[in-house]
Amino acid sequence: MDLTLIVVLVIVLALFFDFTNGFHDTANAMATPIATGAMRPKVAVALAAVLNLVGAFLSTEVARTISNGLIREGEGGVLISPTMIFAGLVGAVIWNLVTWLFGLPSSSSHALFGGLIGAAIVGAGLGSVDYLVLLDKVVLPALLSPVIAGLVAFCATRAAYAITRRYDGLPDGRAGFRFAQIFSSSLVALAHGTNDAQKTMGVITLVLISAGVLAPASNPPVLVIAACALAIAVGTYTGGWRIIRTLGKGLTDIKPAQGFAAETSTAATILASSHLGFALSTTQVASGSVIGSGLGRRGSSVRWGTAGRIGLGWLMTLPASAIVGAVAALIGLLGPLGVVIDLVAAAGVIVVIFVISKRDRVHARNAFEGVNEVAESARVVRIRKVKPKRPRRSAA
Amino acid sequence: MIDWASLFLVAGAALVSACLVVVLYALGLRMLSTAGRAPHVTPAEFTDAITIVTPAEAAAEAKRIKRAAARSPLTPLQKRLALLLAYTSFVLCGLVVLFGVYLIVPALHS
Repeated sequence: MDLTLIVVLVIVLALFFDFTNGFHDTANAMATPIATGAMRPKVAVALAAVLNLVGAFLSTEVARTISNGLIREGEGGVLISPTMIFAGLVGAVIWNLVTWLFGLPSSSSHALFGGLIGAAIVGAGLGSVDYLVLLDKVVLPALLSPVIAGLVAFCATRAAYAITRRYDGLPDGRAGFRFAQIFSSSLVALAHGTNDAQKTMGVITLVLISAGVLAPASNPPVLVIAACALAIAVGTYTGGWRIIRTLGKGLTDIKPAQGFAAETSTAATILASSHLGFALSTTQVASGSVIGSGLGRRGSSVRWGTAGRIGLGWLMTLPASAIVGAVAALIGLLGPLGVVIDLVAAAGVIVVIFVISKRDRVHARNAFEGVNEVAESARVVRIRKVKPKRPRRSAA
Repeated sequence: MIDWASLFLVAGAALVSACLVVVLYALGLRMLSTAGRAPHVTPAEFTDAITIVTPAEAAAEAKRIKRAAARSPLTPLQKRLALLLAYTSFVLCGLVVLFGVYLIVPALHS
């Protein structure tokens, strides 16, 4: 009885983590097309949600790689109990919400890894984590993926501008990149769906196996796949507008050609990494692409302050969620009462974060307004110059 | 330790494929504008605070671009050739993207 309750709790929390994962990562695919006006914000997030839903059903290959090798399990290793997974998820969810509050695009998988590592250290000691694998699979890719994606996006942006540049003053047709952005960003959203929903499926399947509901090494049941797909789609549709703002406007001002180059680079890098066996994080690849495309266009600038803040967030993701996961495990392993305390505390923190976020709400309508005061003042000047009496903005 | 070979493989593959798609699409746009048919895509929403355009202004801009593009110094045959090249590169670009979709969906290749 006790065990089934904790299993249910873990499943619910895992689905909530999936939700935060979706809404954290909407920005990866949709920040740039929204910023260049390729799609209306609501249309863009709806498209991303549908593609994530579809993507989650397309592939279950990744589903059981989540704790593969990172935490020593099985013979001679440690037994990962549902309570420890629960504590790890608490760490991941809380860190995801904190980074969302600050509008930082951080890796949801790192948050999940961090939380599980923290819980494992408390539950089974420092020796339970394979630090070499951690360095190899998590830390180094985190440093390298933005560099690779940035380089690719830089070259692609340079090429796009060089090819379409005209010296005779005739129209260059660069607005046509806006149309292509719809497809390139869709590709990113689909690739994300096939990757990220899998992680939650993996966690839930792992818990069901450890509880004896499923046979060892079995595939995720259809119900689990459907629930995860739905959770990530709803999260994607909700849209983490704070992060969309950071990626779409905070790093650099994106023009359609840059947006197309950045999205194509993101999609290509993710696809190459998932097919050639060097796993890179979607979020870090997407951020690197945006920076690379900012460097690639003449006369554009990258706001390195924002980039530095994002980088700091990445560095902190693993240790911070590990600490939260460790604390949650410390309390949770006391017994059923500890799990209840964990649950109440986590719910309290989540409520506090939402209350703070209400102070300055960011949503589809205002995600890109008032970011740049110079642009804002230029708008005032233009309104005065053209037609002062009519409101310039249509009701859209 | 870190598998540098596969890392460079990933970086190289990403670089080649992303540049291929972008170069093909950009070439298509370039040929389209060479053929005197520069596309005009109005933003669906004006998130950039500087440019806020009414539908009437957008239509006027589209007309202006069309007129400017028509001043091309090319002969009709050259224009038709450019248009053909434009469509060819768009189709090739679409094929590369479809290959990307093929890679995403495991049911298609496993």
